[in-house]
Amino acid sequence: MKFAYYPGCSARSTCAELNEATHRVAASLGLELVQLDTATCTGARELRAIDPLGFYILNVRILALAERERLPLMTICNTCTLNVLDAHATFLEDSDLAARINARLADEGLHYGGQTRISHFLWVLYEDIGEARLRMLVKRPLTGLTVAAFYGCHITRPPQRYKFVDSRNSIALERLAEILGCRPIDYSGRTECCGFHTAAHDERIAIKLTGAHIQAAKVNGANSMVTPCPLCHTVLDGFQREIEQDMGQKLGMPVLHLPQLVGLALGLSPEELRVDRHMVQFDPGTVIS
Amino acid sequence: MVSDVLTPGEARQLGRLERHDTLEARNRRLAEGDAITMRVRRSDTARLAEFRIPYRKWMRVLDALNWVADNQAPDLAYRWFCGSKMCGTCAVRMNGREVLACWEAVEPDMTIEPLRNLPIIRDLMVDRGPFERKVEQLEPWLERSEAYSGFPEPLSHKQMKNASKALDCIGCMCCYSACPVIGLGDLTDFAGPAPLVQLGQTALDPRNDATKVAWSLALTGIFNCVSCYKCEEVCPASIPIVSQVIEPLKAKTAALVPDMAKHSNALRAVVAVRGYVDPSALVLKVHGLKALLNLRRALRLLFRGKINLLRTFLRRKTPASAAGARYLGREDVP
Repeated sequence: MKFAYYPGCSARSTCAELNEATHRVAASLGLELVQLDTATCTGARELRAIDPLGFYILNVRILALAERERLPLMTICNTCTLNVLDAHATFLEDSDLAARINARLADEGLHYGGQTRISHFLWVLYEDIGEARLRMLVKRPLTGLTVAAFYGCHITRPPQRYKFVDSRNSIALERLAEILGCRPIDYSGRTECCGFHTAAHDERIAIKLTGAHIQAAKVNGANSMVTPCPLCHTVLDGFQREIEQDMGQKLGMPVLHLPQLVGLALGLSPEELRVDRHMVQFDPGTVIS
Repeated sequence: MVSDVLTPGEARQLGRLERHDTLEARNRRLAEGDAITMRVRRSDTARLAEFRIPYRKWMRVLDALNWVADNQAPDLAYRWFCGSKMCGTCAVRMNGREVLACWEAVEPDMTIEPLRNLPIIRDLMVDRGPFERKVEQLEPWLERSEAYSGFPEPLSHKQMKNASKALDCIGCMCCYSACPVIGLGDLTDFAGPAPLVQLGQTALDPRNDATKVAWSLALTGIFNCVSCYKCEEVCPASIPIVSQVIEPLKAKTAALVPDMAKHSNALRAVVAVRGYVDPSALVLKVHGLKALLNLRRALRLLFRGKINLLRTFLRRKTPASAAGARYLGREDVP
């Protein structure tokens, strides 16, 4: 299986460990990744609001780069995933806009025909690998991990348009955690928002929201968290010191990227998966006896 | 052997069957005469009041509340009027989610609570005052500074696409209760989804006076919306609140009150130059030298290799940066 792979901005900067882990895990899963190095940012939440045309061009360009390779597109960031899904849907709905975008892309010799299949890494595991094969590939069941899944927003909402299950009924991460040998827990924050998208101008929202989520995970017995989104990870892990100061209590909750959790179960070493790059240290002793 | 590899699109639906997430599945779980357990959060006691209710076919949460009021708790306070998804007065939380009591099928075991983020008057009745005062403050009406061009005024459905979605609002406050930023109280000046939808009905109408719209938008704190779509998820009128109300209002704010959109404009500028977001460059652009106040965190991030200042200050030309400049360059400013 071969994918055009779009890491996004976070996985090439603050969460570079996610990019490294994804490449290693993909190799273990038998996925061949063609990284789209010439792709730009998808515009986060900001560009789509203040410059819709610029937003659509950048995202359709990413889809066109994948289509040129004749490959489905794999993403590892929730917000990037929703952005390309939105751009793809609008491209198909609005033929005037589609023509305008393709006219601009023609300067680069690019053209989008609306054919690219978009899949987040989490969905690839279910739709391209399958549960049975994943179970076979697990070499190190992660029995020491009691894990709180943190879905994030943009691969579970908005409702209806992309046929997401009602976010409160999402089970994909917990089911995966079980396949990998972990014990998933239930807690109030699992499909809530981390507040990342206001953090660059005011961190207080993210600190307050995410503090409550980490605390709920801890109270319900989690010794680690896992998220499929590097933006959520930035708040859960990168802001945890500030969250602790705000709450006046130590949380010390290690947070893994989804490919790191999968990689640990597939037998890759914590060093290969760069868990040492996190702000809150993950204790390899919880998975390696 | 049946393959367990899901088809494209199925992974995002995992949980639908397992959690009985369709009306048919929910209805199948109950038969005429079954006993439903309904716990209600009442304001005069810390404990949930528990009731057993005989199920009747097509029973709604409102029917269950009415049965309790008729048979077991005549003093139970709750609101409803039309009973048909129009008046927006009967919203409550059922098992943690905002629903209209008149439009939601009962579940075998359910906890009914009042909406969040509004003062409780009694039991399930909330005070809509904070919402109403905010809407009043925003003055969500049309003002015209110039004479009409004549009747009928040229107005296409495309121009009214977003405003018409906002006009579907029934003012039920489900979104206001679900909004995590409103849940933080006075931490921000965010107006919240429900007031923004009310404002969107006229602010997104192309006939409205731009100065008037700018004045209203300046009072919204709109860039404190975290884009979590929780408001959309609970909206009984299926209004795309984020994508067709809040984001178009953000676009108007960026054009009419640019100081409020400093962060968004900074991100656009960073992508236009680099093609991607360099977090350090973005923070410096948004906060300027004030970013240095958080020096300890910067050092921690630097120590872990989370930020790379060489990359920030010695930027290279790349195909991505060329694309950023090509598509977000000045000639493309909306």
